[in-house]
Amino acid sequence: MPRNHRPSAPRTTLVGAVALAAALAACSAPGDDSDKAGSDSGPIKIAVVDARSGQLSSLGDWEYKGAKLAVDEWNKKGGIDGRKIQLKSFDDQGDPTTGTNLARKIAAEKYIAMIGTAESAVTVAMAPVLQQAEIPNITSGQADALVEQKSPFLFLNGPTSTTYDTTLAKYLIEEKGYKKIAVITNNGSFGKGEHDAFTKAAGDLGVKAVTDQVVTTDQKDFSAALTAIRSKKPQVVFIGSEEVEAGLIVKQARDLGITAPFAGAAPQGTPVFIDTAGKAAVEGTIVSSPYLSNDSSPAAQKFAAAYKSAYGEEAELHGAKAYDGANILLTALKTSKVATGKKLADAIRATQYDGLLGQFRYGADGVGITETSIGVIQDGKLVRQD
Amino acid sequence: MQETLQTLVGGLSLGAVYALVALGFSLVYRTMGLVNFAHADIAMIGAYAASTFYLTAKLPFALAMVLSILITGAIGLVIERVLRPLENKDFDLMLIGTIGFGIVLQAVAILIWGTTGRAVPSPVRTAPLDILGVRVRTYDLLVMAVTALAVVGLGFFLARTKRGAAMQAVAMDHEAATAVGIDVGRSNALAFAIGAGLAALAGGLVGPMLYVDASLGGALGIKGFAAAMLGGFGSINGAVVGGILIGVLDSYTAGHFQGYSVLATFLVFTVAIMIRPMGIFGERTVSRA
Repeated sequence: MPRNHRPSAPRTTLVGAVALAAALAACSAPGDDSDKAGSDSGPIKIAVVDARSGQLSSLGDWEYKGAKLAVDEWNKKGGIDGRKIQLKSFDDQGDPTTGTNLARKIAAEKYIAMIGTAESAVTVAMAPVLQQAEIPNITSGQADALVEQKSPFLFLNGPTSTTYDTTLAKYLIEEKGYKKIAVITNNGSFGKGEHDAFTKAAGDLGVKAVTDQVVTTDQKDFSAALTAIRSKKPQVVFIGSEEVEAGLIVKQARDLGITAPFAGAAPQGTPVFIDTAGKAAVEGTIVSSPYLSNDSSPAAQKFAAAYKSAYGEEAELHGAKAYDGANILLTALKTSKVATGKKLADAIRATQYDGLLGQFRYGADGVGITETSIGVIQDGKLVRQD
Repeated sequence: MQETLQTLVGGLSLGAVYALVALGFSLVYRTMGLVNFAHADIAMIGAYAASTFYLTAKLPFALAMVLSILITGAIGLVIERVLRPLENKDFDLMLIGTIGFGIVLQAVAILIWGTTGRAVPSPVRTAPLDILGVRVRTYDLLVMAVTALAVVGLGFFLARTKRGAAMQAVAMDHEAATAVGIDVGRSNALAFAIGAGLAALAGGLVGPMLYVDASLGGALGIKGFAAAMLGGFGSINGAVVGGILIGVLDSYTAGHFQGYSVLATFLVFTVAIMIRPMGIFGERTVSRA
């Protein structure tokens, strides 16, 4: 029997190849359909790429919820040009390699725009692919490396690290009169951006950090760095790291007897930071943020109420940023009558939007907001300092 | 001087946790000749279970720990039971099987607890002790004490009880052990269950020190595995010494090499392993395939 089958082997291969080709053709068919959907009819496809698993997943969770809230509101009003907006979430695991693969995937599947990611390193990795595919991207990242990409398709839904840290340095040095500032940052994309932006801003005001500690992104024990900081007796400690790590640093610092207040940008205003460190440990933390609380304006109150009724939890900065970013994108889609590619990017750049974070006026660099406010954590809540 | 001592204290507490993780790796290895790659994820499940009993069910911390050890012990038994048909037949498949279980456990954790983790407040509320300017967290002392108890307890079990002696016999020669009437399957199951329990102990203890999420296993597993290697894979004493060495080494490299600390830690580790491939307490390794 086996011998009888042997001559037919080439034919089997051929049949196999034909079947494979047919299968591939079948696979690409839905893609062709959505190609049409992407241009003139059917739902408008927008991708949300964020970390939905791992240590940065809370960022992804907030961002998706904020964007979804905006899209749901638009869909309730009838969508854009009579077309519904379809939001699909992708998990980049906070990993640049996974992000780059996803960028190719959303280009292949003809998504017309992307919201995310909340991790600067991933967004930087994705930017070249998205630029080539001409897919506008509104990111929640804030590292100055994003602006350095010089991609006309990359937009920030908040201020850059430079803005956060210049405001913070001014407050600490000019208003508070602090001269002895310690710096602890991680060596990731966000941490490095924070380090450079803050030390430069403080340097411009004539203050040099008394000690400059660098930790890794997955470090768990900070005894060495914190003991070095303690021995310098700083008046304030600047932290440049993501939520969980910043929380661990503050928790361990208090255990080591560091009583100076901490200061930092967006991560230190989040519930994850406060929970990780513990409420008592974060008391007095100075935060530079464009969105200090859900009571800061009538629009913020309305957003916070809608967010709470939709998800049963309190809104915070990242959800607000994503909500603003999604609204800017949807406004641009409306004014451009659902344009794609470069036309859509130009429409986003031309969009003037008064959002939760402030007044968005985009420049050529893709940054729409250039100011933040200072808040201090009192009894677990951010309180505005004016 | 103060900085050196403080760094030592910081390294010792995490080192104790790595030692517990390494103990579990080593116990299963010496009994079955198998590296259980699901071990770190069992520790993660243990951390989640302990934090759930402690925070959500509001049980006392000690009780929460015991419950979480029982749960992960049961998971260990299930893993061993599923892999048992492969025992002494296909070793590679068993290894891959443990990797598969690790992935499944991570997925299960995300299904049950979601992707966002949780912070666990320390169960010991007393302020850190100040000894000559070196601050020692009371919780860290508890962690070290529990680790020491676990090591002594395990040593006693292996050396002085019948079950433990049977496990030692299986580790030395499983065919001879079978010939004298020892149930190898049961012995392996016990090793897996105790290993999983140790993982839960490590996970539960580390919860209040770190942040509990589905990726916690990765953080503990690599250092714990390195600790077991450094001490001598399969050696109980080696696991303890290796764990503490890795913890302290990590702490010092963090101080000196800052952003390059991971690189420095593993370079030192690699050189150490090159000089002594069998590890510090290099016992004759069990080879069963």
